[in-house]
Amino acid sequence: MNHDDIAIAIENLEYVYQPHNVKAVNGISFSVRWGEFVGIIGQNGAGKTTVLKNILGLLTPTSGRIIVDGVDTRQTTVADLATRVGFVLQNPDQQLFAQTVEEEIAFGPRNLMLSEVDIQERVEEVIALTGLDQFREEFPPALSKGDRAKVVIASVLAMRPKIIILDEPTTGQDYKGCHQIMQIAHRLHEEGRTVLVVTHHMALVAEYTERTVVLCQGGILLDDATDVVFSQPETLRQTHVAPPQITQLAQALPRELGLPANALTVPQLGDSILSGGHT
Amino acid sequence: MSTLVQYIPGETFFHRLDPRSKIIFMLLITGVIFVVQSLWVAVAVLLTLILVWFLAGLPFSILKGLGKAMVGIIVFLFVVQTLLYPGETILVQPIIPQFIPLIGGMGKIALEGVLFALLLSLRLLAMIIVLPLVSMTTPVHIFSLGLVRLGLPYRLAYTTTTALNLIPILQAEANVIVDAQRLRALQVFEKGKFLDKLKAYPPLITPLVIGAMRRAQLMAVAMDSRAFGATKDRTYVQDIQIRAMDWVFIVLSVLYTALAVTANYLIA
Amino acid sequence: MNQREPYIIFDDVSYRYPRTRRYALKHLDLTIYKGEFVTVLGENGAGKSTFCQTLNGVAPHSRGGRMRGRITVGGLDTQETTVAELAQKVGIVLEDPETQLFTTSVLSEVAFGPENVGIDPQEILRRAEWALEVVRLTGYEDRAPTALSGGQKQRLAIAAALAMRPAVLALDEATSQLDPIGTVEVFSVIRELNEQYGMTIVMATDKGEEVAQFADRVLVLHEGELVAQGTPREIFADTGLLERVMIRAPQVSQLAIYLQERDTPLADFPITVDEAGRGIVQLIGGAN
Repeated sequence: MNHDDIAIAIENLEYVYQPHNVKAVNGISFSVRWGEFVGIIGQNGAGKTTVLKNILGLLTPTSGRIIVDGVDTRQTTVADLATRVGFVLQNPDQQLFAQTVEEEIAFGPRNLMLSEVDIQERVEEVIALTGLDQFREEFPPALSKGDRAKVVIASVLAMRPKIIILDEPTTGQDYKGCHQIMQIAHRLHEEGRTVLVVTHHMALVAEYTERTVVLCQGGILLDDATDVVFSQPETLRQTHVAPPQITQLAQALPRELGLPANALTVPQLGDSILSGGHT
Repeated sequence: MSTLVQYIPGETFFHRLDPRSKIIFMLLITGVIFVVQSLWVAVAVLLTLILVWFLAGLPFSILKGLGKAMVGIIVFLFVVQTLLYPGETILVQPIIPQFIPLIGGMGKIALEGVLFALLLSLRLLAMIIVLPLVSMTTPVHIFSLGLVRLGLPYRLAYTTTTALNLIPILQAEANVIVDAQRLRALQVFEKGKFLDKLKAYPPLITPLVIGAMRRAQLMAVAMDSRAFGATKDRTYVQDIQIRAMDWVFIVLSVLYTALAVTANYLIA
Repeated sequence: MNQREPYIIFDDVSYRYPRTRRYALKHLDLTIYKGEFVTVLGENGAGKSTFCQTLNGVAPHSRGGRMRGRITVGGLDTQETTVAELAQKVGIVLEDPETQLFTTSVLSEVAFGPENVGIDPQEILRRAEWALEVVRLTGYEDRAPTALSGGQKQRLAIAAALAMRPAVLALDEATSQLDPIGTVEVFSVIRELNEQYGMTIVMATDKGEEVAQFADRVLVLHEGELVAQGTPREIFADTGLLERVMIRAPQVSQLAIYLQERDTPLADFPITVDEAGRGIVQLIGGAN
């Protein structure tokens, strides 16, 4: 298999948790191309976290393999993979430890033994990207939930990974926080990085991702362009997932009106209505 | 480690004992371990506890794990005691060869030191078996109720036992935190020197402690919201009862303790 | 449904946490009626959690801090009544499924509250049976809470609160950590409690679409102040409000505003898919 244009290749991944012999992942295969923005959805217990941990090297596949940035995850260290794939934890509080935001961000690069000049450069770069300038000297745990999440994202970005995975970044975030985080993800995507987002928030998946992979009970239920995935509500029901409300509305409208059958965002449906339908 | 204190359901005699019997047993045996000076008595106590462990149907693997966890400390004990314990029966002297300037000819290892280290090790091993023996055969809320029925105020008993409940949770939390830092290229656990490992602790301890504090505050709100500590006359849906077998066990424990203490004074 | 009996009354209430100067709640004046399903919306930090914790006296009794004004719950002044006593009027369910469950079995979790106030064990078992039935966890009595799914854990937390037989159930972002099915399970139980058992519900949440579906009334908090209250329709149609306070309106309402801003409003402001569907058909049909 040609891996040049593939950022992550998952080949027949199986994972069984010991000692209870629970098969969390059941022989799945999918690939993520460089520069894609992929959403991963599915109910809790479907295997999402297990797949992520395998990609990051925290777990070793029971069988099958994963190639990340051309490297087999079984043949390298977690630290090495950390320079290729940035992982943003769901709960920022499990990572924040430094006295200041700057120190927190510098931690990763420092572990890589970079020069002080390089480290400073990276810190500045990500502070600008995530809008954390006013918080540089703050004690991270004292910041608001949204800002703590941004600090974690910034500290991951300081590793300059080509691939970024966000695990349920919107949990516990309010409307404003969700959008700020997704905007950062969007900007990273525009810069050319490969982004994966695991989430339950269908409206955000619809708005930001180009492709969606749906996991169900350790297997892949659907893997397709986001609008195609959401055009199959019956199938999605198997993993207790429903398309975003706007898509449900679009699907409920009579086809004669000529509106997009699977509109993914408010503006998309709105614009179509404004032009009288039949677009 | 979390499996050290978590309840493993079972139907053995030890499981079915009233928690009060087990608590009394625990206190008596701990007392014996503290006073024992005779090597023979120490061996006997340790063997008794191991016997009870198997009678309670608890897995050997955990016992082995406990032993393995103590290896480091035991080695340390041996080194310190053999070098420092004063004694007449010399085994090795000197430790530092004569020809080394200034400190040549110093140091000795006495048999008494070796035996003392052995005694300490046996006592240590016995100590760490006692608590898991009870906590793994008694559900936490039953253990807590036992303490209350023995006279401990509810709030105090509950605080003690909550700690036991939290160990597996904090253990899981610690694992997530270690993973999180490994993902930031923290390679120290894979290939670090000891000093580096020490320096690596802030990224692990800080989130754990802050997390624990947050958790504690949230738990306090949840507990208050369900009237924790409202009245001294708290009721219990699941109650405990001392039965004949408990009396037998308690009497046996007391006799055993008396025997052990007496033997200890006679021999030593 | 119009038995408008005031059950919770806030009279010029302000509250700040200990060792902080900033007031988390400022001059709140509001009334919640028995049997209402009220949702509290607002940005993070607006005071939603604090608000929930004032209902059962955790603020100020457990948290400390300073409270001004007066809160009456079922006739009791929260500052003059203990949390233990208020716990029998207001049950609270918190956001994190993990930290609010601390016993080793489902049954003991539900029994915890009543045990604390010294209720007779037989009566506790009766209450537990009822509570577990309402939340659909009958048969799970001996399970360890840690072995449950997120949705099940939150339902257990609800049962634990119900065992105190409260008149009000307060939920502080109780579904924000759950997956879609867990969210549906919890809302379904709460709706049943409200419609079938007449329980007053006060729910702090972010989910506009569920608010539109279930709430009788919405309170909007912003920086500790009550900046708006009304029916879901009134709130989600208030474009001025939505600009000042970033709250999540149902997407169909967002669509209506989008069209409105471009001079093509729908005849009636929708908050559900059905309403929006009819409105759009009318709009386009009418134009053709």
